[in-house]
Amino acid sequence: MVNQIFLQIVTGLQLGAIYVLIALGLTLIFGTLGVVNFTHGALFMLGAFSAVIISGNYGFVAAIIIVPPFLFFFGVLMERFIVRFFYDRPHTDQILVTFGFAIVIQETLKWIFGSNNIPFKMPAWGRGILKLHEYVPFLDGFVAYPKWRFILITVSFFTVIALFALLQFTRFGMVIRAGMNDSEILSFLGINITRRFTLVFGLGSMIAGLAGVFAGPVTNVDPGLGMFYLVPSFLVVVIGGMGSLPGAVLASFLLGMAQSFTVSFAGLQAIVVYIVAVVVLLFMPRGLLGKKGVLD
Amino acid sequence: MSKKHDKSKGLTRRDVLKISAASAVAASTPMFFVKDAWAQKAIGNFPVNGPTVTYGFNVPLTSIYADEGEDELRAYKLAVKHLNNGGGMVETLQPNALKRNGVLGKKVEYVVGDTQTNPDAARTSARRMIERDKVIMFSGGSSSAIAIAQQYLAQELGVIFMCGLTHSNDTTGKDKRRYGFRHFFNAYMTGKALAPILSKEYGKDRRAFHLTADYTWGHTQYQSMKDFTEKEGWTTVDNIMTPVKTTDFSQFLTPILNSDADVLILNHYGKNMNNSLTNAVEFGFKEMQKNGKNMEIVVPLYSRLMAKGAGQKNIEGVLGTTAWNWTQKDDDPGSKAFVETFEKEYGFPPSQAAQTCYVQTIIYSDAVERAGTFYPPAVIKALEGHEFAGTGPGKTLYRAEDHQCFKDMLVVKGKSPSQLKGKYDLLEIVSKVKREDTVYPVDTFPGELGPYEPA
Repeated sequence: MVNQIFLQIVTGLQLGAIYVLIALGLTLIFGTLGVVNFTHGALFMLGAFSAVIISGNYGFVAAIIIVPPFLFFFGVLMERFIVRFFYDRPHTDQILVTFGFAIVIQETLKWIFGSNNIPFKMPAWGRGILKLHEYVPFLDGFVAYPKWRFILITVSFFTVIALFALLQFTRFGMVIRAGMNDSEILSFLGINITRRFTLVFGLGSMIAGLAGVFAGPVTNVDPGLGMFYLVPSFLVVVIGGMGSLPGAVLASFLLGMAQSFTVSFAGLQAIVVYIVAVVVLLFMPRGLLGKKGVLD
Repeated sequence: MSKKHDKSKGLTRRDVLKISAASAVAASTPMFFVKDAWAQKAIGNFPVNGPTVTYGFNVPLTSIYADEGEDELRAYKLAVKHLNNGGGMVETLQPNALKRNGVLGKKVEYVVGDTQTNPDAARTSARRMIERDKVIMFSGGSSSAIAIAQQYLAQELGVIFMCGLTHSNDTTGKDKRRYGFRHFFNAYMTGKALAPILSKEYGKDRRAFHLTADYTWGHTQYQSMKDFTEKEGWTTVDNIMTPVKTTDFSQFLTPILNSDADVLILNHYGKNMNNSLTNAVEFGFKEMQKNGKNMEIVVPLYSRLMAKGAGQKNIEGVLGTTAWNWTQKDDDPGSKAFVETFEKEYGFPPSQAAQTCYVQTIIYSDAVERAGTFYPPAVIKALEGHEFAGTGPGKTLYRAEDHQCFKDMLVVKGKSPSQLKGKYDLLEIVSKVKREDTVYPVDTFPGELGPYEPA
């Protein structure tokens, strides 16, 4: 029983880690730019596609080095030529244009690679299992778990720390946080906030790319992948509180745990994330750590 | 004026006599004069006017079965080409009424719909084909929930549905419909063919844990595998139903790690299977030992497309069943003609989904030619109980009582790298199961076909 509970907790953590990686960029873009970016799932998928191709030809480390900057550049271009024109438009317009662009990305990849699943080979150093009973004293007998899932948790943890550090302890982060409160005043002070916003969009896309690199080996890669993760990642953002980074992290692990502990109830599995969303929003309308004034 | 007024008041004795005489003549007319009038009754999109006839191909072009859907569409297009110009199985079908100039002299055209692997979307798409595009027949796969939804629609609207890939027992069991026909095999046949081989390969004292796709196909696949493996002496430890749109199965694999099961049976298809198998291998199930035995993974319903999607390394040594494999081109003229024309057209071999969809289109067209009409009840009667050859190994029977086809099938195993003879050569044929070995009594499953003429 102890083993079972422990394994389900680990499962909840690693499921949450994937959600964190995907939702972090989404909530960063929303919290900073106020843009509801429905392309985010497609950016994650683009990251996974790029990673499986680069990894297949040049190795997984090459994918880690190349894919996030590629997605950063892609995000910058997307902001410059599409999203920028929708900052002052209603959220519905933003949703339509970003959703439309997501479909364009999806169909283009389908046209190039077809609909068939592309197996994502895990790097040799990430394969295999960890014998948890050798490290955790209260476990009874043989208890193992895939090594890659712990790598996912680790990558997710360091990404969150790095992003918090960037926003809290750098001049760039300070300007961004100030811009989130009042971008007009910053413009009067001679700070080019538009350029910073472009970089934030690129940063959000880069994190989606990183998610694609590390989640790809467990989800495999196909053109429908982005749409699958779009809804759960939006739920994470809403449950956590629109635009709140700590809220997104908390909500990710909450959903991961909810999914992990309902495996034996088939009907509940499919809807548990929505039930969590309903319950949280019923008692906390702004989400777990939502800020007053954001999408009120 | 008054005279005219008087006439309109009622029938005269002369009028009554005229009507009586006419009625007597009508009543005494032989029935064969009326037969054609009955056959011309409008049902669905019958009669077909003009020089062309339209078929509808409703396949999953998006979502978890999209890879199968794309291959099905390729096969349908090829079938239409062969019906209009000859070639492929149009040359090998026996008996064969096809003329290579379309069907009943009408050029075959087609429209395409996307089921989105969703029964509601499939119904909407099918209804649009029937009502707007006036299709005389529609076909497609690859989900049993969708096939069943479309069969009911077919019965309601009087348009024949030739099922594509659907493997649930319910399709020709409790949900069978007069207007639906299945060429593909089913979960019961899989269980019956696979269980003895599993027992032979892995022994009789085995403990199985199932992961099952949570919809009609998964449910019947699980039940059939459970029943037939238990007959072989296996024990079913547990089963977890998994939502169809799952991409990461880790939370479902965790309880199996902690159980005493030594066989994992994945009742998953398409991308579900690609991911559940990938995750199971990641969790170390292929290297694990339980109860002093090697842990084994079984995928009851296999396809070459799935094998490719899951990756050669993952499928190595994994047993399952398949309706047909392209490597059978050396076994019979029908398979040879189909594989060669498909490869020439698209540059790679067809999947089992493509084969069943291609055959369905050819067989429907042949039935129309044999019936001499597109009138649905006549075509249904031409299909019911029809036995044919030249579309795969051995003879195929369309059983009249449940519209289930009976034909040879395969038990296969994922090949090891040393066995590969090319990138599409992924499955090793373990056993060619004969048609008579998978036949079951028609009352094994409940259900009624319904009337020939829709209410």
